[in-house]
Amino acid sequence: MNIKNIAIALSVLLVAVAALLLMQKGNYVDQATEHYNKTTTNIFKGSSKIVEYVGSSIDVNKMVWALACEGIQTAKSSQDMAKLEAKFFPSTKGSNSKAKMTRHFEASTFYFIDSKFAKVDTDKKTDVWYLNNLSSIDVSALLGLVTPTMAAPSEDEEEYEE
Amino acid sequence: MDNKKFKILAIADAVIIVGLIVVMMILKGNYNDQAVASVKEQVGTYQETANTMLQEQWKSVDQYGMAWKLVYVTLTGDKTEKSFDAAVKAIEADRDARFKQLAYMYTAAGIPDKVQNDIFEKGGLADKFLLKDEGGVKEVACGKGCVVSFTFAKGKFKSSDYKALVEYNLANNFKLEAPAEFHFE
Repeated sequence: MNIKNIAIALSVLLVAVAALLLMQKGNYVDQATEHYNKTTTNIFKGSSKIVEYVGSSIDVNKMVWALACEGIQTAKSSQDMAKLEAKFFPSTKGSNSKAKMTRHFEASTFYFIDSKFAKVDTDKKTDVWYLNNLSSIDVSALLGLVTPTMAAPSEDEEEYEE
Repeated sequence: MDNKKFKILAIADAVIIVGLIVVMMILKGNYNDQAVASVKEQVGTYQETANTMLQEQWKSVDQYGMAWKLVYVTLTGDKTEKSFDAAVKAIEADRDARFKQLAYMYTAAGIPDKVQNDIFEKGGLADKFLLKDEGGVKEVACGKGCVVSFTFAKGKFKSSDYKALVEYNLANNFKLEAPAEFHFE
């Protein structure tokens, strides 16, 4: 190989190295941008989901609290409670227990109340029994004092990154 | 060109190539450090914004829970101003009960315990509950942008307005902005 070919080859190599040098910064910017976008998007999605899921949990919670508060002020019988339940939760019904003289209303596995009545009466027209004289409403589930029997609804679990 | 000139060109090329490679190696380290530092700083800033929002939400849910408890206790108690004042203090002071009620709502939302504990350890509980106590009118915080009021006359309960609690839309009060564009600094 003569010196002419070597000189030409080195000139080409020089141009290539110079081009690499110029592109070098761009590669780092691209890599850093990609990493930044991926990480911050995860934070954004994770945090937004927490806000959304807790918001949905509160939406149910507040209606059960409102039911309990209105019930304790205005309801007398299990029929009154049933009407209030229908007002706050049109598609969910509570159930009476004759033996315990309670009415259980469960808006979700976590959020439920138990209304306690003093006596069992019978509707003279329909001959159907109902609970009367509401004495108290147990809001333990709204205060977090119970352990739900079923597992929590398992949505995508979000990590709270540091 | 004669061989001598090609020789000079080849030597110059080689020297410049070596020089460029040296510059490239130096810049490589610099760019890498710069990239790592920029990403770390900007991700950290965004993470902090997100964490602060989650901590504020946590505290709002704490106030929300306390407010409902107070409303219920007031409606079912002896309805005196004295009992109400005592209830406000007792509810606020019982941090275990607050945490339990709060964590329950997060668990119901499917938020893992680890996430709850991380938020709690960094942010703690709400530090405000009773906002106003003037002439028988008492206002308590029930979350960000949420206030419930109770009115007493001559020491006796007169009325309560907890409409704000029933209508409270927590999610609307907490919106995390999408991350800003990355800047290579």
